[in-house]
Amino acid sequence: MALFTLQDISVAYNKQNILKDFNLEIEKGKLVSLLGPSGCGKTTTLRLIAGFLQANEGKFLFKEKDYTKVPVNKRNFGFVFQNYALFPHLSIFDNIAFGLRLRKNSKSEIEKKVMNVLEIVNLKGFEKRYPQELSGGQKQRVAIARALVIEPDILLFDEPLSNLDANLRVNMRVEIRRIQQELGITTVYVSHDQEECFSISDQVAIMNKGIIEQLSDPATIYKYPQTKFVADFIGFKNFIEFDKRTDHEDKIELNKSGYSFVLHKDAQMTNASGKIGAIRPDDLLIREKEDMGAVLENSLSGRVKVSTYLGRSYQYVVETPIGDFTVNKEMTESYRTGQEIILEIPRNQMVLVD
Amino acid sequence: MKKRYLYLLLLPGLLFLTIFMIIPILLTIGTTFFTENGFSIQGYLDFFKDRYFIEILLTTLRVSLFTTIICILLGFPAAYYISKLKQRKKAIMLLLTIFPLLTSPVVRSFSWMVIIGKNGVVNKMLMGMGLIEQPLDILYTPTAIIIGLVHLFLPLIIVTLVGVMENIETDLLKAAESLGASRLAVFSKVIIPLSVPGLVIGSILVFVGSFTAYTTPALLGGKQRVISTFLYQNAITLNEWQVASIVATIMIAVTVLIISIMNGLAKKLNPKG
Ligand SMILES: Nc1ncnc2c1ncn2[C@@H]1O[C@H](COP(=O)(O)OP(=O)(O)OP(=O)(O)O)[C@@H](O)[C@H]1O
Ligand SMILES: [Mg+2]
Repeated sequence: MALFTLQDISVAYNKQNILKDFNLEIEKGKLVSLLGPSGCGKTTTLRLIAGFLQANEGKFLFKEKDYTKVPVNKRNFGFVFQNYALFPHLSIFDNIAFGLRLRKNSKSEIEKKVMNVLEIVNLKGFEKRYPQELSGGQKQRVAIARALVIEPDILLFDEPLSNLDANLRVNMRVEIRRIQQELGITTVYVSHDQEECFSISDQVAIMNKGIIEQLSDPATIYKYPQTKFVADFIGFKNFIEFDKRTDHEDKIELNKSGYSFVLHKDAQMTNASGKIGAIRPDDLLIREKEDMGAVLENSLSGRVKVSTYLGRSYQYVVETPIGDFTVNKEMTESYRTGQEIILEIPRNQMVLVD
Repeated sequence: MKKRYLYLLLLPGLLFLTIFMIIPILLTIGTTFFTENGFSIQGYLDFFKDRYFIEILLTTLRVSLFTTIICILLGFPAAYYISKLKQRKKAIMLLLTIFPLLTSPVVRSFSWMVIIGKNGVVNKMLMGMGLIEQPLDILYTPTAIIIGLVHLFLPLIIVTLVGVMENIETDLLKAAESLGASRLAVFSKVIIPLSVPGLVIGSILVFVGSFTAYTTPALLGGKQRVISTFLYQNAITLNEWQVASIVATIMIAVTVLIISIMNGLAKKLNPKG
């Protein structure tokens, strides 16, 4: 059963729809991340859940109760901000105790809970300091502790790691995931760092212009994007818009301007109607023309148009009769610009999207 | 330009202040300790034995204190409201706020005379409504001085507070709310403590300004003396320059004392502000 549900939500700023007919359901104890390009409405969604923002239409259900109009301070949801938002006039102890004091906890209870949560976020001994005296990573851990200590029903993160350097980001995301799983807190996590989302989430929602394009577990999104937008977003750089798709028992036949391709059919391939083929640059194969006598299936003859050195590999743009393709190749094989080659799309490396 | 030569830029201003302010002040203070018989603090001792002077000093302090408190009470909510406005509206409101500062204190005091005088608008209205039989004595009392000073200094404290409140991140207020704080709790636990720096600066400005103001108490106070009008009377009317210098020195000392007390208070309220 879902812990909370956003039902047909619409949000507009200045008559411009930011979210439209937005639906999202999250189960208890799961970490769901919202991933998408800048301005797609991730923060808006999070603020809506927190109650900072009212929807123009739609409902927010929490434990099957209508929470749409419940004010922020009555929701008991924790929020962790991108820039930490620690109270500069309060010590770390008082920052964390802020929510407990409002809940009229006794002095000894507050002491116990604060110390306990400081232990969870590995900040024992820092309670007398002030926020200005902490590093970015420590501040973020205080922010997390402050949100955790009120035992929130939902924990909301808005790009909590984007102000930290790369190494710390990796450590912190592991920490966040560990704490989230240990305490079993239902969490919504916003980021535009793909790796971050994929590594810590039970489910990832890919958003585009105020709608969710796909909501699945990370592995499914990575392998089987449903739409062209999602595919593009997660690195399928090559797209072929086929004219015709014919499904057989164990394969799919595809046609484009007289060229035909075969795709291996696989049980997890849920998109039954998409006619756009998507392939990652890493999954295409290039062969020298002389290598082969007869033209193999799923192959096109092409010419190297651009060759770019990427350090670990080369990136080629290959020109073919049905369009340009981007291909990544190991350092060991290199092709000259202008060289005639054969480009092969392996049977099991293409996915079909809408 | 090398950084260490940058202080040269301070020189013209510093020179001006030294010649026309610091030296005269030091000379004034110096003269109060020297009489024909050499160094003595007799002048001060006489002063603090004088009931009349003590009365004036206390009245002035009381007037300044009330003015400051009223300015804070009126200014704080107004400043909060203005700080929350959008850029354009904020600019307009701030302009309206400082508008009174653009008219001369003399003009303003005269208009208050018209309003709170024996036959003024306020008394006429109250008598017309039958609330009072006799006109109230407001003009030429400490109350009149306070009214005039609040009018004079309210813009100052509002502008100072708006400056500080604008810089309170809205995320802090959201964070407080998400932790369970009601509007009132957000106000008392976050906004007020974070406004302390502005409150201190504003209060110092208002208090010191009220303590040393001359025109407003001179016009609205009537026979009621405050320390600045007392000083003027001694220097210009009675030609008692020695007394005037002592009064001036006491004013400087009180001002410095007030500022340090308020700073100390601020440190207590907002240790890392
Ligand atoms: N207060 C506001 N007034 C008007 N438009 C707004 C406001 N806040 C956000 N928007 C608009 O709403 C859209 C979604 O904003 P949102 O902050 O949700 O994006 P986001 O997905 O969080 O982006 P980012 O990754 O850059 O943080 C944007 O186009 C933005 O310009
Ligand atoms: Mg955002």
